[in-house]
Amino acid sequence: MGKHEITRRNFVAGAAVAGAAAAGAGLLTGCQAGGSANTTTDGGGAASEKKTGGTFEYYINEPAYIDPYNLKESEGTMVSSCLFDSLLSYDYRTQQLVPAAAESYEASADATVFTFHLRRGAKFHNGDPVDATAFKRGWERICNPNISKAPSEISYHLAQIKGYKEMFEDKKATSLAGVKAVDALTLEVTLTAAYADFPYILSHPALGPVPAAAKDFDSFTEAPIGNGPFMIDDTWKHDQYIRLKRFEDYYDQKAYIDGIDFNIVAKVDTAYTEFQAGNLDFAMIPKGQIEAALAAYGESEDGYTSQPGKQTLLGPESSVYYLVINNTDPVMENQKLREAISYAVNRQAICTAIFQDTRVPADGLIPPGIKGYHAGAWAASYYDIEKAKQALAEAGFPNGEGLAPIKLSYNTGGDHESIMQMIQSDLHAIGIEAELEALEWARYLGALAEGKVQIGRLAWVADYPIMENFLYSLFYTNNGDNLSKYSNPEVDKQIMAARGVLDDDARIAAFQKVDELIQSTTPIVPIMFYKHNRVCSERVNDFYFSPNIIPDMVNTWLSA
Amino acid sequence: MLQYIIRRILQFIPVFLGVTIILFTLRAVIPGDPVRMIAGERAIPETTYQMIVQNNHLDQPIYTQYVYYLSDLLHGDLGHSYQKNRSVLDIFAEKLPYSASLALCAILVEIIIGLLVGIISAIKKYSFIDLLLTLSTSILVSMPVFWLGMLLQTFFGVWLKGWTGGALSLPVSGAGGPISAYPPILHYILPAVTLASVSLAFTARIMRSQLLEVMNQDYIRTAFAKGLSKRAVIVKHALKNAMIPVITFIGIDFGTMLSSAILTESVFSWPGIGREIFLAIGQRDWPIVMGGVVLIVIIVMIINLIIDISYALFDPRIRYGKKKAE
Repeated sequence: MGKHEITRRNFVAGAAVAGAAAAGAGLLTGCQAGGSANTTTDGGGAASEKKTGGTFEYYINEPAYIDPYNLKESEGTMVSSCLFDSLLSYDYRTQQLVPAAAESYEASADATVFTFHLRRGAKFHNGDPVDATAFKRGWERICNPNISKAPSEISYHLAQIKGYKEMFEDKKATSLAGVKAVDALTLEVTLTAAYADFPYILSHPALGPVPAAAKDFDSFTEAPIGNGPFMIDDTWKHDQYIRLKRFEDYYDQKAYIDGIDFNIVAKVDTAYTEFQAGNLDFAMIPKGQIEAALAAYGESEDGYTSQPGKQTLLGPESSVYYLVINNTDPVMENQKLREAISYAVNRQAICTAIFQDTRVPADGLIPPGIKGYHAGAWAASYYDIEKAKQALAEAGFPNGEGLAPIKLSYNTGGDHESIMQMIQSDLHAIGIEAELEALEWARYLGALAEGKVQIGRLAWVADYPIMENFLYSLFYTNNGDNLSKYSNPEVDKQIMAARGVLDDDARIAAFQKVDELIQSTTPIVPIMFYKHNRVCSERVNDFYFSPNIIPDMVNTWLSA
Repeated sequence: MLQYIIRRILQFIPVFLGVTIILFTLRAVIPGDPVRMIAGERAIPETTYQMIVQNNHLDQPIYTQYVYYLSDLLHGDLGHSYQKNRSVLDIFAEKLPYSASLALCAILVEIIIGLLVGIISAIKKYSFIDLLLTLSTSILVSMPVFWLGMLLQTFFGVWLKGWTGGALSLPVSGAGGPISAYPPILHYILPAVTLASVSLAFTARIMRSQLLEVMNQDYIRTAFAKGLSKRAVIVKHALKNAMIPVITFIGIDFGTMLSSAILTESVFSWPGIGREIFLAIGQRDWPIVMGGVVLIVIIVMIINLIIDISYALFDPRIRYGKKKAE
């Protein structure tokens, strides 16, 4: 087991940590905290002094929660990621796990027991120490079904831990048997089965520690007390703002900016007008204004980092938009028909015509940015009208003859109708007639859950940067999110086997095999990967907005 | 008068019961599972699903749910939002002041500009000014609220700021507070003007037509014959009578502005109750819908009562609670 000198704040430099396996020893090793950076490199390569001070005006929509208890969507996660540090963090730039509240960890050879060593001296915003008990408390709070009228919807993150079922599902236990505070700085987690990706799960911002003050559920939910680089100033003013200020007793490198005002704005267009008026430092670009934004603010070099003059962020996100096909439908169980549909969809046309290329055609299920992505992973996930016609003939419907009109269902609002209309036209081109069914959101969700949708639309946003999060969630037999009703015992078996592979590269290779097996029958039709469509003001420097929509606010600084 | 007020207040009870029964019937009929809506595109684990169903009595027949609702209501509990996991009372206690203050500002704009325009149009009937004002109000009536709002935002928030080097501008959105560089009062200007725009035009038109009608009455001719000045005739005699329909409209409009300012609240990101209820309907967050509607019904009924009482001030012939003289 090796130790690596690195902090999560200077990982920009490209140092790697040992989230990867020390295969020979059967151990996974984390890393040690180190010093902090105070210079930056501009686009020209010259080092310049970072300035401290200023408040970053940040646009968000109203979050569902900012309390880790039920951190289930992007807006709340952006806020909470500034308030809380989980055990580990994931750096998309180096594609490595990096230490956060834990400075190192070890995994047992069978990937069922993980031991985390916490940093010494870390404090909560109220001065309480961040110890192993605080993590146990935080996780048990999520798994306690009686703590609030609404049980947490994200307890599934911890479903692998021994005692989860007894506590959350059976309501027989009051604690997680598999989580043990060995001492103040050592947390031992025992799982019910091998799961080598478990440290990646623990990088999720919802799995941070909470202090004893979290016992008062209602007040904590409105003003969470975390261990992150920023602390809440006042309480959450719903539909208005959330103010954060720099936490001066933070255990690692302190933020350059004094604080963050999360401006809660109801409409993207309004937020963009605020941005144009100079009242926001970060906003989403409304559809149709991308070209103008690029011309006015310049494009970020990597798509994720904003520097003055290179302010428009258009990097791919860890999410995919796809056609969900009911594999048990008497018509759609025809594999060749699904393949024909996949070949027939002109993804580039959709991305360009509807989204001005703020989406990128999906060439598979796994988006770029997730380790294991490789170009063209799904053979039928590209536009080829001849292959589409050929597959349709092989399906038994040459030129669509004998095929009754299929139904394309979608929820109203957004751009789903335009997308489905283009797909309808693409299918018509090869002889497949499709009827559109527009359903209100509530009805659409019901229809999907009840298996009444023949072909619909869905999106999947990664919880964690791992292939397993896509493959298990969407294709494991009878899993709740497997709305295509796909079932393949071989896939299930291989997913479970891959979960136990400790070595990162070997595990990714195993999941790539699973992906290959799944794509061979085209159970769904990937359409496009999402991309950022955000912009920063000119005074913002070194602002990094990751593919999973989490900002790095510690290294961000403001020019004036 | 007191008897009349008590009678009107007692009428609240059947109206309230009627409204809540209709809402409960609608929620039983409208498709869409509120629990599934909580998780959205993500599947909600079955255990979690069942817990939420049981915690909210959603596994009970609709009439049992209604009884639970009334029982909670009698204890001052408007329910608990499925989506927000917050007390509905807290949500509306937070939002109602914003809605009420914005509606009041909009009503002020409506009264000041609408009445003034209506009076000027009536006095200068068929003149160029009348034509200009009538045309302006027609444009306001036909202009979509969200578009007007966005125009105002761009003009006063972005362009004016640019032209004056930041010296002059108005806030684009929000209700102010410590994160805003503007004094709170300035945050009201654009949303209030936008919210008032359509009603203002209607008020002006009603005022104009009423005043013109009153000006043709015999008693006005008598007043002129007595040698009173035009100003005195209009202010002391004509306006009072012409005001009754205008007050009725403004009163009803206040209730509408309070509850239905959805577009204005969306465009200006105003933390009011209209958008809250609108979103809750889509999300099948019935406690918020129920709480919001109940609140609005009560407010509208109170406003109507106040309007009815105010009639007596404008027209001494109107008296409540007294038997007709034999």
